[in-house]
Amino acid sequence: MSVQLESIVKKYGNLQVVHGIDLEVGEKEFVVLVGPSGCGKSTTLRMIAGLEEITQGQLTIDGRIMNRVAPKDRDVAMVFQNYALYPHLNVADNIAFGLKIRRESKQSIEASIKEVSGILGLTEYLDRKPSDLSGGQRQRVAMGRAIVRRPKVFLFDEPLSNLDAKLRTQMRAEIKRLHNRLGVTSIYVTHDQVEAMTLADRIVVMNDGRIEQIGAPMDLFLNPANTFVASFLGAPPMNQIAAVVAQSADGPVAEFNNHSLPLPHLEGLQGATGREIVVGVRPEFAEPVNVVSPGVVPLEIDLIETLGSEALLHSMVANEPFVMKADTLTGINVLQDVKGFKIPRELIRVFDAASGKALPGQDQPV
Amino acid sequence: MNATDLHQPKQFAPPSRLIRIKDHVRNHWQLYVMLAPTIIWLITFLYTPMYGLQIAFKDYSLFRGVSGSPWVGFEHFNTLFDNQQFLRALKNTVVISFLSLCFGFPIPILLALMFNEILNQGFKKTAQTIVYLPHFISSVIIAGIVITAFSPSAGIVNTVLEYFGFDSVYFLTRPEWFRPIFIGSSIWQEAGFSSIVFLAAIAGVSPTLYESAVIDGASRWQMMWKITIPSIMSTIIIMLIIRIGNLLEVGFEMIILLYQPATYQTADVINTFIYRQGIQTGNYDLAAAAGLFNAVIAFILVIAANSLAKRYSRTSLW
Repeated sequence: MSVQLESIVKKYGNLQVVHGIDLEVGEKEFVVLVGPSGCGKSTTLRMIAGLEEITQGQLTIDGRIMNRVAPKDRDVAMVFQNYALYPHLNVADNIAFGLKIRRESKQSIEASIKEVSGILGLTEYLDRKPSDLSGGQRQRVAMGRAIVRRPKVFLFDEPLSNLDAKLRTQMRAEIKRLHNRLGVTSIYVTHDQVEAMTLADRIVVMNDGRIEQIGAPMDLFLNPANTFVASFLGAPPMNQIAAVVAQSADGPVAEFNNHSLPLPHLEGLQGATGREIVVGVRPEFAEPVNVVSPGVVPLEIDLIETLGSEALLHSMVANEPFVMKADTLTGINVLQDVKGFKIPRELIRVFDAASGKALPGQDQPV
Repeated sequence: MNATDLHQPKQFAPPSRLIRIKDHVRNHWQLYVMLAPTIIWLITFLYTPMYGLQIAFKDYSLFRGVSGSPWVGFEHFNTLFDNQQFLRALKNTVVISFLSLCFGFPIPILLALMFNEILNQGFKKTAQTIVYLPHFISSVIIAGIVITAFSPSAGIVNTVLEYFGFDSVYFLTRPEWFRPIFIGSSIWQEAGFSSIVFLAAIAGVSPTLYESAVIDGASRWQMMWKITIPSIMSTIIIMLIIRIGNLLEVGFEMIILLYQPATYQTADVINTFIYRQGIQTGNYDLAAAAGLFNAVIAFILVIAANSLAKRYSRTSLW
């Protein structure tokens, strides 16, 4: 079942928090809305659920306009950040709550509980109260409550935020498996870009009540449309160096702090000497080198964070923090002697300094 | 340190209980300072007078004092249980308490649930202020209002009755009317204020429970029954235990202000009996015996209510 948002606006009095969102979520698609706190992603989700009124615009689910339809008649199910489990009911009754409200038959309810608890591995906990469950089990019950109604659309509002890092990784995989198994259209809100990258068929990056970019995870990772998306996706995010365009025999170069870095051959850079740009360098694409030679940007490592098979090398370039991701398996001691970095010009992302938008013609194939 | 040492850490003796208490007092002395007035109040007004409880077992004389009076064992209790007035007061206490509990306890909960459903904030605040107001009026004035309202000559109740062709009734001299009037006026005075604690409990229910129920299709009525009431059940149980503990402490100021010899038959309770015996007649030992009896029953009631609550709802005072 598809979900369509057309010019959706949300205002609280004079305060506008969502500024005309257009989005189409296809059948069985898993779309993740991601953005910083206060960007309007949860409000958008709550408007789809019917928990918030839509100020302007049109919401369509499965071809039917839903603006004035009560939440219960939208055939959506929502999983909340704090699980929203009824503390006085046991797991079975929590899962059955929606079915009982809809006065389904006892046999049908029991069959549904059995099926859902089987899918989610909750069979042995059916008699327990939520207070007797771990965070992960509670989250599974919350998902059980959602899937037992067989809705047309699943809405997830930061469902993993209350879990610890290990459990979050585990539950993330479970949600993905569940989506593959049930194939229900899902809209998922998170501020965690790792969740967005791992779960989504398509990611919607939001900022300040507007959509910054929509695309497949790798597309957004490789080809961010602007500096905001570049700084939001990726762990750590893309390094951004303020520079001006200059020309060399080999093509355009970025100049900053008496250093230069070869830029891709873009139309917008031809003859654009003096144009102010932002050079985007993914930490994964910057290659640390131990010898400063032409084409190498010198730097001084001030901190090495070891993550296991990888390490993050922190330094400053053009008075801005600059991070590189390096392999530790070849020898961590070598990283102490890093003196600079180099990067193939086709892996550099160039943004216009004034608008923050990526220059056209540099998208990499996904 | 080798691997074996890592698995066998050095054993240190845990600090003694006294040391732990000392550390706690030193680290949290501000809390103890705040607690002090209550402790001093409890000791001065509740524990110190317990010394005088022994006169319930003595032939007390003002001149010989508490310690000089001779012991008489359970004589005063025998006297009490042979005293028709005490037995009548005991029966009235139980009946009035039970009726107050049945009618007076649920009404604040209903009020809180109703306030919770009011969406217009202005109307909600006005309604709350109106029902809280009687709590701040002195019992003497409340009794005055009740006496005036039920007066046979100028009372509004009799005026209305007469308007509809009924005979006027002198309610406060009629034993059968005392309990409804007393319980009704107590509810009017306290129900609003008592609803605050339930309103606070309702405010603590997570809004996402309601949002989740809205998506599931629950009506407001279903949400009240299936979410609000179960969510505040622990508060209801705690308040019920406290109420049961005070069950025999019938608001005797109001009874003294409202009753008269004509209504003793239904109005005289243990506390008014104690007041008459102790203060008016000077039978301090007999009054102390009646008071002790009252306290022991209240103690048993609160222990029983707490154990039942613990067994059936996992909620208890201790």
